[in-house]
Amino acid sequence: MDRRRESPPKRRREDEHDSDGSPPRKRSVSRSPSTDTPQYTIAERPARQYSRAGDSDDEPRHYRKRASSSASDSRRRSASPHSSPPPPKPTTLSYLPVLILHGHSKGVAQVKFSPDGHWIASCSADCTIKIWDAVIGKLEHSLEGHLAGVSAIAWSPDSRLLASGSDDKTIRLWNVSTGQPHPTPFLGHHNYVYSLAFSPKGNMLVSGSYDEALFVWDVRAARVMRSLPAHSDPVGGVDFVRDGTLIVTCANDGLIRVWDTATGQCLRTLVHEDNAPVTSVRFSPNGKYILAWTLDSCVRLWNYIDGKGKCVKTYQGHENNKFSISGAFGTYGAEPPHQYAFIASGSEDGGIVLWDVSSKNVLQRLAGHSAPVLSVDTHPTEQAIVSGGLDKTVRIWRYKE
Amino acid sequence: MNLSLVDPFVLAQDCPEVITGRLRSGHSTSIRFSHRGDLLASGRHDGVAVIFDIETNGVARKLRGHTRQVQSLSWSMNDRYLLSAGQDWKCVLWDLKDGSRVRTVRFETAIFIAELHPKNDMVFVAALFEDQPVLVDMSSDVPVKHTLPSAPRRSQIERENATEKQVAQDAKQTSTVTVFTPSGDHIIAGTNKGWLNIINTATREVQYSTRFTNNIIVFVRLTPSGRDMVINSSDRIVRTVHLPDLSDPKLDFDTLQLEVEHKFQDLVNRLSWNHVSFNPSGEYVTASTWMNHHIYVWERGQGSLVKILEGTKEELSVVEWHPFRPFVAAIGVDSGRVWLWSILQPQRWSALAPDFVEVEENVEYNEREDEFDIQPLEEIHKRRLDQEDEEVDVLTIEPVKSTTEYEAGDFRMPVLLDIEASDSEDEVVAVGAGQFRRKSPGTGREWMNDDETVASESTANGTTSVPNGTKRRRAG
Repeated sequence: MDRRRESPPKRRREDEHDSDGSPPRKRSVSRSPSTDTPQYTIAERPARQYSRAGDSDDEPRHYRKRASSSASDSRRRSASPHSSPPPPKPTTLSYLPVLILHGHSKGVAQVKFSPDGHWIASCSADCTIKIWDAVIGKLEHSLEGHLAGVSAIAWSPDSRLLASGSDDKTIRLWNVSTGQPHPTPFLGHHNYVYSLAFSPKGNMLVSGSYDEALFVWDVRAARVMRSLPAHSDPVGGVDFVRDGTLIVTCANDGLIRVWDTATGQCLRTLVHEDNAPVTSVRFSPNGKYILAWTLDSCVRLWNYIDGKGKCVKTYQGHENNKFSISGAFGTYGAEPPHQYAFIASGSEDGGIVLWDVSSKNVLQRLAGHSAPVLSVDTHPTEQAIVSGGLDKTVRIWRYKE
Repeated sequence: MNLSLVDPFVLAQDCPEVITGRLRSGHSTSIRFSHRGDLLASGRHDGVAVIFDIETNGVARKLRGHTRQVQSLSWSMNDRYLLSAGQDWKCVLWDLKDGSRVRTVRFETAIFIAELHPKNDMVFVAALFEDQPVLVDMSSDVPVKHTLPSAPRRSQIERENATEKQVAQDAKQTSTVTVFTPSGDHIIAGTNKGWLNIINTATREVQYSTRFTNNIIVFVRLTPSGRDMVINSSDRIVRTVHLPDLSDPKLDFDTLQLEVEHKFQDLVNRLSWNHVSFNPSGEYVTASTWMNHHIYVWERGQGSLVKILEGTKEELSVVEWHPFRPFVAAIGVDSGRVWLWSILQPQRWSALAPDFVEVEENVEYNEREDEFDIQPLEEIHKRRLDQEDEEVDVLTIEPVKSTTEYEAGDFRMPVLLDIEASDSEDEVVAVGAGQFRRKSPGTGREWMNDDETVASESTANGTTSVPNGTKRRRAG
């Protein structure tokens, strides 16, 4: 049923482009021609074997709606004050595998680039955290000390500290340059620590756990500042907004909650009708949207500011029914304002899917992992992606023109 | 970014109401908020300057250098440098990036107040005890001190008819407080005879003087815009004055007239005021009272008393308002604690689910006609996905011109992890809505702070007399 649900929208988009091959090119000169010849559809088509009779009726209606939503047109038109036309928006990306890092003896739960872009941290069920050089892939430190598998890692904003949350109910801070743990572990959770995030100033750490609570820690004192009874099911993911005033959390009960950091109060709750367990959340780079991964093989982008919050985009095309998969936002294109955003996510079929944020089109599928990919992260400044999965490897991919 | 989600009624409250916390690190004698409002600098009786992180109510950094109590604190505009003036006759400029002393300036007498120039971190103005105020330039390694006059500039007629005695008396005046205007072009100085001088920073000459009172001017503070000024004097009257734009080149100082806008005083008890401060917009004036436990808050529209902040059982000395939030910090004279007042924000229950609505009383619910209709799932999903056509911008960061936002190149103080271990006398307790779960680590330690004579004995014993709470925590 999942597959049926996800096929109609995809097919509709492809059909619209195929059947209306000539009209768009004639009519809208200003519109960049590249959107009408997406190469990906040729690869996509063989997979979609089923058809639905009702689709053909929908196509003209859908196309007309597409033409009217010319926001992308106006943006491209107004973006260039000088006479040279703006560069066309790329429709595919070409990330190529660069390095495969072996070392973990069990599946890798999370991989994260450091904020300064020099290091990659990966944590695994083998109770260790490994720090790799992001350029050459050399193993720098293997941090041992946890008594059970590590589910979450978070870098401090100055890239000097790494926090790790483990199934042994503790959170540890590690000094990245020496590889030594901070003497005081953060104790307080009653069950597995599942997700971590540092505040942008680095003075607070928020952690979500299987004990359904959210703890806000004072990093300097290694003490719990606030304990929020956030959900009624294990907390799946947490994130801080870019100015540190809001925390977003998600849980297996299908709720996404936005909290005020200063007072600890819930400011908004986002629910999708199906209440599918939400496993991971991220704020968008500008903090206005929340991206949520759910166990119904969907990734949803929510606008939480307007009204009671609504889902503005749904990304499908990957598989996610069992594992907590997380991903990240990335950018492609030229310098701003011709810079576009994409979403990278792992998938249980071993691939990594990249979607364009606005059009929901799949920009690329990266193949290589032989087991579900649990975590994908994007480099803060360069065009690089790191991924880790149950095949115990960490892979680095780079964009090649 | 939480402002768009918070209840607008809560946002409209601009005056704090109840005590929401306490900070403690030794015996505090002076406090100052940083310009971005996330740090509170506190000078202690033992000369240590402590920086509190308001977000966590914890100590962020300790600056050691003074040997006697810290009299005044002043932040640079980018919050990276802190100027502290101590009773040991020294002013120290600290670099908060690493806690080092950038400059140390020695004086021959005690310092009342030292304020950094808003545009130049290496220049400050200081008012000295029984001496003329100085403008100090610390750019080079050897600080250059320029003496500023305190003699008021009298009008043309007065100058011509001045008697010898008057001239001699004017020359003997000293300034008790000197502050910069927000542009840094002028210095406002109050003297011990009740005159207020406006001194031009570049020429170091008094451009305008006016007499507000016959008593000593104790303190002067300006709003961030520089258009309003509050003056505290020893005649128990708090005056507010509206200032013109002093940087206006068309302003003629000879024809300038500064009128007192409001005079706030307690006619019943004849209380005198310890310290005065503005709220960020200049709408409210707060003052702490001598030998009393209250903080008075007046509003300047009508000049009426709007609030009395209470809750402490001790006299309060310095009271400071947060740069943009309804948040007030004040030092308790007896205990040396910093008390924090703020507004109570009740939890909005409608935020806990999208269809929750807060109502005043019970509402009879009438279902819609189509509420329980069963609709095929695929159609609902298709319809929903169809509506997802708008452009979404996840990258552009709006340049919010608010003082809270950290821009890309702004200075951020590094987070130190070894503060706790360095000094064992800290205690942070939360009061109020019970949201802080931390316990005070052993009550026995309080006597070590309060009684200086006993402290020396206890250090000789080592830490064995300290209750075990702390040691256990550290070993964990």
